[in-house]
Amino acid sequence: MINLRDKGAEFWERSNRPVRVLTVFATLFVIACLPYAGNTFLQTPIAAFDAVLVYPMGIFILMALGLNVVVGKSGLLDLGYVAFFAVGAYTMALLSTHTHMNTWEIMPFGIAAAMIAGLLLAIPTLRLRGDYLAIVTLGFGEIVRVSALNTEAIGGALGIAGIPFPPGLGFEYQLLDQKAFYWTIIVMILIVIWIVRRLSVRRPGRAWESIRQDEDAAELMGVSTYKYKIWAFVFGAAIGGGAGVFYASRSMVIAPDNFTLNTSILILACVVFGGMGNIWGVIVGAAILGYLPDRFRFLSDARLLLFGLVLVIFMNLRPEGILPRKKREKAIVKKGSDA
Amino acid sequence: MVYGVLRMINFANSEIFMVGAFATMITSKYVFDFSTEMIPPSNAKLLLVVLSCLVASMLASALLAFLVELVAYRHLRNRTSNRIAPLISAIGIGIVISEIVRILTRARTQFSPNIIPKKALFTFHGAEIRLDNTITILAGLTLFIILERFIKLSRLGKGIRAVSMDEDSAKLMGVNLNRVISLTFILGGLMTGAAGFFYVNVYENVKYNMGFSLGLAAFTAAVIGGIGNIRGAFFGGISLGLVEIYASAIVGTQWKPVTVFLILILILLFKPNGLFGEAIQKTRV
Amino acid sequence: MSTTILNLKDLTIKFGGVTALNSVNLELKEGEILALIGPNGAGKTTVFNLITGVYKPTSGNVFLGDVAIDGKKRHHITKLGIARTFQNIRLFGDMTTLENVITASDVRNKVGLVGSMLGTPRSRSEEKASVAKAHEILKFIGIDEYADRLAKNLPYGVQRRLEIARALGTEPKILLLDEPAAGLNPQEKVELGATIKKIRDAGYTILLIEHDMSLIMGISDRVAVLDFGQKIADDLPSVVQNDPQVIAAYLGVPADAS
Repeated sequence: MINLRDKGAEFWERSNRPVRVLTVFATLFVIACLPYAGNTFLQTPIAAFDAVLVYPMGIFILMALGLNVVVGKSGLLDLGYVAFFAVGAYTMALLSTHTHMNTWEIMPFGIAAAMIAGLLLAIPTLRLRGDYLAIVTLGFGEIVRVSALNTEAIGGALGIAGIPFPPGLGFEYQLLDQKAFYWTIIVMILIVIWIVRRLSVRRPGRAWESIRQDEDAAELMGVSTYKYKIWAFVFGAAIGGGAGVFYASRSMVIAPDNFTLNTSILILACVVFGGMGNIWGVIVGAAILGYLPDRFRFLSDARLLLFGLVLVIFMNLRPEGILPRKKREKAIVKKGSDA
Repeated sequence: MVYGVLRMINFANSEIFMVGAFATMITSKYVFDFSTEMIPPSNAKLLLVVLSCLVASMLASALLAFLVELVAYRHLRNRTSNRIAPLISAIGIGIVISEIVRILTRARTQFSPNIIPKKALFTFHGAEIRLDNTITILAGLTLFIILERFIKLSRLGKGIRAVSMDEDSAKLMGVNLNRVISLTFILGGLMTGAAGFFYVNVYENVKYNMGFSLGLAAFTAAVIGGIGNIRGAFFGGISLGLVEIYASAIVGTQWKPVTVFLILILILLFKPNGLFGEAIQKTRV
Repeated sequence: MSTTILNLKDLTIKFGGVTALNSVNLELKEGEILALIGPNGAGKTTVFNLITGVYKPTSGNVFLGDVAIDGKKRHHITKLGIARTFQNIRLFGDMTTLENVITASDVRNKVGLVGSMLGTPRSRSEEKASVAKAHEILKFIGIDEYADRLAKNLPYGVQRRLEIARALGTEPKILLLDEPAAGLNPQEKVELGATIKKIRDAGYTILLIEHDMSLIMGISDRVAVLDFGQKIADDLPSVVQNDPQVIAAYLGVPADAS
C-alpha cells in the first residue's frame, strides 16, 4: 500500500529550497483555482460547487484544525466543540446587528468570546479524565445550544437574521458567486496552519504530545499539564470562534439549530478520518468528508450515518487515519534545529 | 457496572435503551395486535403480553449490548496507549444504530399502544397514584434487588466484581476476561431493555433519538451514586429524578437538559467519587 | 561534602486500612549513591511517589534542603530539582529519543505558548539550545546514535537508558532511579553501573531502587533497607549485607556479593 504521507515527506526533504517554494506556489495556485472547476465531474448537484467549497469544506477544515489540537494532539476528547463555533457566530450576529462594526472588526471579539468560553469550560473540567471529560464537554455544547434556544433576547429558536457580509476590499462578497468567501477562508486556513505548525515543533507541541501519550509521566518530567491542557482548549476554541464569525457573516441568518451535537461529531469524524494529530491528514479528511455528502445525493441524508461509520471503522481498523504519521519526527527535528 | 469492569463508559447505552423500547412497541403492536384504542383484555392475557414485551425488550437490548461490546470495545480495549479510541468507537456505533433506526422510521415518532392500564389506584395528598407508575417503581426495585443478589452471590457475579477490582489478579485467578466483560454488557443490556419497556408503558411513544437525554440522565445518576456502585446508581436515579422534577417546576421544562448537565458537572467537580463510590481518576505510577 | 539534601522525616502513608510506610526516616547526602532495597511490597516505589509528589503523606515530611516539598505539585517538584525514572518504562513512545529529552528539558525554558507562536528570537535561541543540550545528554549516556528513532522502536536496553537520559533532561539535583536494571542482561548491567557512577561523578545525587545485589553492592555508597513499610537498616553496603535482620527479611541476599 502506497504511503502517501511518507512519499510526500520524502519528496519534501530531498528537494532544495527553490523546488520547495515552487511546489508550495503550485499547490496554492491549484487550490485557488478550484472554484473554477465547478463544471467538471466535481460538480455538486444540490448546492453550487463554489459554495460547497466554502461550507462545508472550508469551514470543516478550519474547525477540524482547531479540534485536532485538542483531540488529536493533546488527546482530550472534546464532544462539545460546536459550542465555540456557536459563540463566535452569535457574537458576530449580535454585534453586527446592534453596532456598526463589520466582520473584520468583530472577528477579534468573536475569537476572544470563544476563548473565554474555552477557559470557562476548561478550568473546572480539565482535572477529569477521558470519558468524563467527553461527557462534560458534550454537556457544555448542549448547554450552549439550549441556552440560545431558550433565550428570547438573542433570538430564541428563530435565531438572528440580517447579518451582513464582510466588507469587500476592492472586490465584493456575493451570495451567488462565492469565490471571495472561498479565497478568504483559504487565507484563514493558511494562517491557522502556519500557527499550528509553529506550535507543534516547539514547546507547546511537545507538551501536548506528551500529555496525550502519558500525562502522569509528562507531569513528572516537569510538563505543566494543567496549563497546557487549558491552552489546548483555549486555542482550539479560538479557531472555532473565528470559524463561527466567518460562518455567520456568510450565512446571513443563524439559529440554534445550526449548532447541534451532530456538528461536533462531524468535526470529530474529520479528525479521526484524517489522522489524529496530523495537520495534513486532517485537512484532507475534512475536505473529503465535507465534500462527499454534497456530491453524492444518497449520502446526503445518511451523512450522520456515514460519519458514525467512519468513527467506528477507522478507530478499529486504521486509527492513524488516512495519512499516518510515520515519518513525522524527521521533519520536526530538522525544523527544530534551524527554526 | 460497565464502568466498574471496563473503566470506560458505554457510550452506546442510549441506543441500547432505544432499541429495547422499540422492541416493546413492536411486540405489543405487531405480535399481539394491540392498538391504541381497544378494550383492555383479560388479566391473564394482559400478563402474558406484559411479560413477553418485557422479555423482548430485555433480550433485544442485551443482544445489542453484546454486539456493541464485540464491535466497538473489544478490539480496542487493550491498546492502552490510546485511551479515547474505544470511546470514539462506541460513539460511532451509537450513531450508526440511531441513524439506521431514524432512516427506517423516517424520523417519525411511533406510537405504542397502552399495555398496562393507566388506572388510578388512589390519591395521596392530592397526587394521583397510578397503576402503571406503581408497577414501574416496584418492578424497578425488584430488578435492582435481583441484580444485586446476582452480583453478590453467583459465580459470574463474583467474577465481575473481581475484574472490577483488579483485572490482572482476576485473570491470574482463572477468570475468563472476555466472558466476564461480555456478560457485564449483557447484564447492563438486560437492565436497560427493561427500562425501555417501562418507558414505553408510561409514555407510549418511541423515536430514534429518545435515548439521548435519558442516557445522559442515566449517566448522571450513576455518577451521583458513584460509578461502579450498583446501590449508588439506584439512589442516584431516584435523587436525580426528584431534582429534575423540582427544577422543572421552578425554571420550566425546556431547561431540563441544562439542569441535568449542571448537576453532573457540579458532582464531578466537588464529589467525583459520587456519594458512595470510588475515585474516578487515579494516578497510576 | 556531607550535607543532607533530601530528608524524609517520620514519613508515613496509609491507604485505607493499610499502612504502606510507617514513620520512615531517611537522609540522602549530597553526591552519594544511596540504594533502597527491600522485598517486593516493602514500600520502595511508594517512597519515590511521596518524594515526587504523586502521593501526599498521611503524616511526616519530605524536606528538600530546608523546604518541605510534600504536598507540592508534581511538575513543581521536578522544577525544584528532583527527577525520576519508572519501573515499567513510560517513555513518550510516539516521540523520538531526542524529543523525549527535549520535552523534559522544557521545564527549564522560559518561553511559553505565546512566545512560541510569535516566534520570538528568545524562543528560537531556546529551541536551538534545547536541541544541543539534549544531544549532549544523549552522548553522555551513550545513545546519541538513536536520536531520531521513535522511542517505541528502540531496543529495550536503549529504552532503559533513555529513561535516565530523559530524567537528566530536567537538570535535576537528585535523580531517582526505579529498578533501572530490570530486564537487562549481565553485560548491560555492568554498563549501567558504570553509567550511574559517571552520572554521580558529574555532580548528581542518586537514590536508587534495585533488586540486583551485585549491582548495588558494587556502586552504592550506602544502602537502606525497607521491609513492610519500615526502615530496618541504613548503613554501608558491607554492614547491611551482614545484618541478620536484613538477611531474614530478604532471604537470599548472597553473602559474598562483591
